[in-house]
Amino acid sequence: MISIKNLHANVEDKNILKGLNLEIKPGEVHAIMGPNGAGKSTLGNVLAGRDGYEVTDGSVTLNGKDILEMEPEERAREGLFLAFQYPVEIPGVSNLEFLKASVDAVRAHQGKPALDSVQFLKLAREKCKAVNLDQSFLKRGVNEGFSGGEKKRNELMQMMLLEPSLCILDETDSGLDIDALQVVAEGVNAMRDANRSFIVVTHYQRLLDYIVPDYVHVLANGRIVKSGGKELALELEEKGYGWLESADNGAA
Amino acid sequence: MAEQFHAQQLALATEQARNPLLAALNAAGQQAFAAASVPNRKTEAWKYTSLHNLLTGDFQRTASQSDLTAGLREVATLGSLKAARLVFINGQLSSELSDALALQQVTLFSQADAEQQALISQHLGTVLAHASSNNSGSAHLFNDLNNAALNDGVLIHVGKNQRLEQPLQISWLSSNNPQPFSITSRLLMVLESGAEATLVEHYASDEQPQNSFTNALTELVIGDNARLQHYRLQLMQEDALHIGSTHVDLARDSQYSAFHLGLGTRLTRNDIVVNHNVGGSHCELNGVYIPQNQQLLDFHTCIEHKVPHCTSNEVFRGIMNDKARAVFNGRIHIHPQAQKTLAELSNKNLLLTNTAEIYTKPELEIYADDVKCAHGATVAQLEEKAMFYMQSRGISKKEAEVMLSFGFINELLEALPHEDIALVLRPLLAHRFGRDQSLSRHLLENETAGLSGENA
Amino acid sequence: MSSNAEIERRIGNDYQAGFVTDIESDTIAPGLSEDVVRFISAKKGEPEWMTEWRLKAFRAWQEMAEPTWAHVHYPEVDFQALSYYSAPKSMADKPKSLDEVDPELLRTYEKLGIPLHEQMALAGIAVDAVFDSVSVATTFRAKLAEAGVIFMPISEAVHEHPELVKKYLGTVVPQRDNFYAALNSAVFSDGSFVYIPKGVRCPMELSTYFRINEAKTGQFERTLIIADEGSHVSYLEGCTAPMRDENQLHAAVVELIALDNSEIKYSTVQNWYPGDKEGKGGIYNFVTKRAVAHTNAKVSWTQVETGSAVTWKYPSCVLKGDNSVGEFYSVALTNNYQQADTGTKMIHLGKNTRSTIISKGISAGKSQNAYRGLVRMNPTAAGARNYTQCDSLLIGDQCGAHTFPYIESKHPSAVVEHEATTSTVSDDQLFLCRQRGIDTEKAVSMIVNGFCKEVFKELPMEFAVEAGKLLEVSLEGSVG
Repeated sequence: MISIKNLHANVEDKNILKGLNLEIKPGEVHAIMGPNGAGKSTLGNVLAGRDGYEVTDGSVTLNGKDILEMEPEERAREGLFLAFQYPVEIPGVSNLEFLKASVDAVRAHQGKPALDSVQFLKLAREKCKAVNLDQSFLKRGVNEGFSGGEKKRNELMQMMLLEPSLCILDETDSGLDIDALQVVAEGVNAMRDANRSFIVVTHYQRLLDYIVPDYVHVLANGRIVKSGGKELALELEEKGYGWLESADNGAA
Repeated sequence: MAEQFHAQQLALATEQARNPLLAALNAAGQQAFAAASVPNRKTEAWKYTSLHNLLTGDFQRTASQSDLTAGLREVATLGSLKAARLVFINGQLSSELSDALALQQVTLFSQADAEQQALISQHLGTVLAHASSNNSGSAHLFNDLNNAALNDGVLIHVGKNQRLEQPLQISWLSSNNPQPFSITSRLLMVLESGAEATLVEHYASDEQPQNSFTNALTELVIGDNARLQHYRLQLMQEDALHIGSTHVDLARDSQYSAFHLGLGTRLTRNDIVVNHNVGGSHCELNGVYIPQNQQLLDFHTCIEHKVPHCTSNEVFRGIMNDKARAVFNGRIHIHPQAQKTLAELSNKNLLLTNTAEIYTKPELEIYADDVKCAHGATVAQLEEKAMFYMQSRGISKKEAEVMLSFGFINELLEALPHEDIALVLRPLLAHRFGRDQSLSRHLLENETAGLSGENA
Repeated sequence: MSSNAEIERRIGNDYQAGFVTDIESDTIAPGLSEDVVRFISAKKGEPEWMTEWRLKAFRAWQEMAEPTWAHVHYPEVDFQALSYYSAPKSMADKPKSLDEVDPELLRTYEKLGIPLHEQMALAGIAVDAVFDSVSVATTFRAKLAEAGVIFMPISEAVHEHPELVKKYLGTVVPQRDNFYAALNSAVFSDGSFVYIPKGVRCPMELSTYFRINEAKTGQFERTLIIADEGSHVSYLEGCTAPMRDENQLHAAVVELIALDNSEIKYSTVQNWYPGDKEGKGGIYNFVTKRAVAHTNAKVSWTQVETGSAVTWKYPSCVLKGDNSVGEFYSVALTNNYQQADTGTKMIHLGKNTRSTIISKGISAGKSQNAYRGLVRMNPTAAGARNYTQCDSLLIGDQCGAHTFPYIESKHPSAVVEHEATTSTVSDDQLFLCRQRGIDTEKAVSMIVNGFCKEVFKELPMEFAVEAGKLLEVSLEGSVG
């Protein structure tokens, strides 16, 4: 699915990712955990192609294609989806209008026929229901005046509509109460299948009780310093990151 | 008329200014004042504010006598506010009414030691000087006149990480004199890094009809991470004239919270200029004006965002009664470098009669894109629904009006960080609204305060 | 602000109406004097009263000073260096019908997308076209005449309907109202005249297209619209000019009179040449537009402004009659070195008068865009209401957006509400859109259109499309 090799990236001339390697096969769910400032959010932004995140070394291929030279929208059309930690508000642009533009662009790229307005509205309503968002959210400005939880569910709804092949959830759980967390997790689990992969970036082990990962990686100081199965998350919950970081610092 | 006023004031200033420490400032002030012309209706910043009463008032001398009347004694206590108190009468320090505690924290320019003199030389006039480049109309000739005539003033210096436990109350009181007179007052406050203080500037008079013109200028230098809570209460007798300016410099992560009240005088012009100079600073600027009879109260505020990551929140409310007139001009200026600024301004007004007038102009001038700014202004009457609701509960229309008007202002009083000061101000304002005691009798009951919240 | 730089680069669109028409013109030498005023009047064969009216304005103008309070900066205009009259030569003998109009002129209007023939007929819109100083063609006059509607160049109305012109000209914008209005009153050359009789609903949209062609000329058109009691009219003006290095002056006056129970809807799509990317050239657009609304009348100004180097314009309503209504909907886009100081005045005199102001300013490049408005509630305006919303969108960190609303109230039962906000097309917004597969061009266009939505919906249907396109053209370069 995605192959990240020796990835180095700078933000504002500061070296944040320092040789990150990650291989994800179709259908796998990988959790990435790590202390604050480890580069967790940077990874999502670099993969999605955000301006200001400069890749200085390494390679990333998605389904065999090098994506590092692609514009963000091209990556999105290739099936990469980033669920933002802080989805931005776009006043004046209705959610429905935005979603239609997005789905049209992605479907056109994939050679699928465009949905007409009626079909699309039906689909959008269906997805709203699936993430427990009132349909009135479709008429409102993108994320405008949404609560934190509503924004996250809106992200999830978009993910369902776009049916990406690689989903990156950037701290989607932070700030959510347990009920909202369950809604998000159910949505994600419903989308799991043999052809879709997930990178779940989180600060808290709690999320992984609901979205059970195949692998857990610890990102510290810009690199993956330890990998394991889902039991690693529990170990981290218990012991914290200190023991891993100090080991890594020694190496660096 | 304007020429005569101009010449008289210049002569008086030259005669007054005698302090060698201030000689350079005096000279510059005299020069600038001599070169400036008196504003008129065509001057944008004075479009709605007639200076007629000032220009024809014959204010060509200072006070000849300063009797300590019973009225002044009463006024000076500011409703028995717990504070360290320094009291001036017609421009002269009254040691009788001043506290020893205040005298420790405060120095007169004329009594400053070498270190204090250095502070004065370093800061006096510098905060004010920013205004001349901000194009807000706040750099007017009355500031020059204050510089020109300045002979003494108050220096408050709060040292590094020092915190003044009690509010510091500086009262500038005026009483009637045989002949019209002018008062020049000046305050310089310097808060060093991490300092905290509460300053109550109090302008008031006894109840005798007045023939005074006060020119008051305050400069506040707020250092890194320092916090100042500032109350400026203008409660002068209704014939007095008052032109006052407050200029504030904010250093890194500092905070200025202010409450400005305009109640008294025939004519008041207040300029408030806040400069965000370094970054991370916050300004909370609130105010209330309640002119009645023939009063004219004019507030011009200007917040200068010169650097990134600063925030401002400004709320002014006014109620105009009788034939009174109010002017509010609230300017927020975002300079090109001031990205990530958050600034908001709200101005709400009530007109109580069809002879009262309000002129409001919230202004935004923005040269940076990544900012969030908003302003709003309303002019309205008391909400009909609320009036009806109260009447349907048996409250007379008149009393309902009084209660709702008070509520409109009380929302800001409730938010004051010093309950002590709110307690002093509430009866003052209640009295203002319910000139007839029977109408204001419920204002100070707690329930009323609760109810009034509905009239947002 | 890396992607803002991108937006800015992309916003640098090219002016599409900037061609020069090669036509022989009859232009007088530069300079302004009483003789020039008399010359213009004589050229039009005006009656004595009209000549005197102009001279009175000219004398007033000589005593007036150019206003300097607006938030705009430009080199002083030398009013003696301008030519005050220019007409295509072939107009010397006025065409009786479209067939007689110089084909070069017709092609000009076609290039502008304003065919004076069939397409407008299909759309059911009557057009008056003003080229430099004179009106070149008015369509559908016969059909309008059937309904009793008068729609003709004002130069003709002076002759054919002197009683109406005499009665209303200068009543809304007096000769000495302001510097530019006085200048216009002295030297105005042509413009449209509209009269809708009592109780008549004008059967079609009326439209005037203005174009400045000749170099070093000023254009001073004058429009007078009278909606008699109970009548209804919708009017649209469009403006273009060729690309020239020097600045050109446009100082128009528009007067609207809405008598009892009538309604006037006045829409403007202003696309004068804005100057090049370095701020060279472009039109100085100093315009006075004002309406008087009598009892129960309604006046609505809608404007989409993307052109001109400097704009100074405040379409206003004097709400004189009880229950009258004034509206102002505006989108003003400035880019490169453009400067705009625009807004409205709502003067409430009558009881229960209502006004609404929706202003959307978009600043990009190094431009400065200011809203300046006045809401005045006179002591007679019992129960009057105003609602104002003023939003600014900043694109890039080199531009400015300013708001100067004046609110004056002298009646306790009048209610005024003003709100202003600013926003930006931020990196974060664009990135969210792109992450969802929407390219920058589409994203910016969606955001800007969303921002302007409330104003576009006020435009007549046919022109909403045009306005949308105009913004899209402005944004076309902005993306790609």
